[in-house]
Amino acid sequence: MKDPCPSVSKLLEKYFDREVTEEERSLVEAHLPGCPNCQEALNMMTGLRDVLKNPVEEAVEKEDFPWVWQKIERGIRLAEKPPWWESIRSWLDISPLFKRRVWIPAVATVAILIFTLVLFKKTPSHPGASVVEYLESPIYNVMVYDLEKAKVTVIWLFEGPEQEEFSS
Amino acid sequence: MALRGTGTGRILLMKRKVALPTLLFIVFFFFTSVAFGQVQTRLRVIRASNVGSGFDPSLRDVHDELGSLFSFTSYRLLRDETLSLSPNRPVSTSAREGRIMIETTLVGLRKNVVELRIRVIGEKSDILNTQIRLFPGRTVLIGGPRLREGVIIYALSAQF
Repeated sequence: MKDPCPSVSKLLEKYFDREVTEEERSLVEAHLPGCPNCQEALNMMTGLRDVLKNPVEEAVEKEDFPWVWQKIERGIRLAEKPPWWESIRSWLDISPLFKRRVWIPAVATVAILIFTLVLFKKTPSHPGASVVEYLESPIYNVMVYDLEKAKVTVIWLFEGPEQEEFSS
Repeated sequence: MALRGTGTGRILLMKRKVALPTLLFIVFFFFTSVAFGQVQTRLRVIRASNVGSGFDPSLRDVHDELGSLFSFTSYRLLRDETLSLSPNRPVSTSAREGRIMIETTLVGLRKNVVELRIRVIGEKSDILNTQIRLFPGRTVLIGGPRLREGVIIYALSAQF
């Protein structure tokens, strides 16, 4: 069957969906009062929308979609954690400090400083430090003698009064 | 990066990739070797007596100290050992013809200080239990137990 008003009927659907321009809307609204075919077509669209829309809206109102949230939570839980080295690498990639390539000379400088300090530091003489921390002898009498000049500490065990070979 | 695709760029990237692990390895190795490394301790067993006279040439470094401290006329080196001590692992050395054992344990290692636990064990029971701190260049002499006509002296010094 031939469309009696082809120019407007093409716009009807857009008009119904409120997607027409101002000019198109004026054209459709001027045409509709005098065209029962277009009126009927528009009424059908409205009826169809009501038939579809109301049950869907009611169903959506009743449903709070708990399964959707459960699925999202499960997905988060199951999301594979990257290994620690990947985390470090990604952190290094992100860090602007490392992007600037200053870290190579910085680390090298620190390492050289540590080596220099350790290698060339003078050995302390430990003048006040005690050499013997703990001493116990169940059989002997014990004497401790420090010769600070010679850096010698003597721990002498006396068996009895007859052993007098230690010269004071 | 503009150089990423070029030969020079690849070399730069490779250098970058190699530099960090290498440096980390050097630093890690340095610290771990200090923290968990072995300590060389020299233990000399000396018999001092008044029978005869003379000084063992190997005791030249402690000649003055022994001479000024004791009135013995003869000093003979019976044993000279370098003990490689690992933390908390006792190392035993026998002396006095096997009747005395000296057990040395490394219990602490800090910068320039070595802590040692010394246990002198006799035939029946312990003769001495002591814990000492050795600094570089310091010698600890443990003496007194009789050996034939003389006495036995242990000389301990750390090498680090």
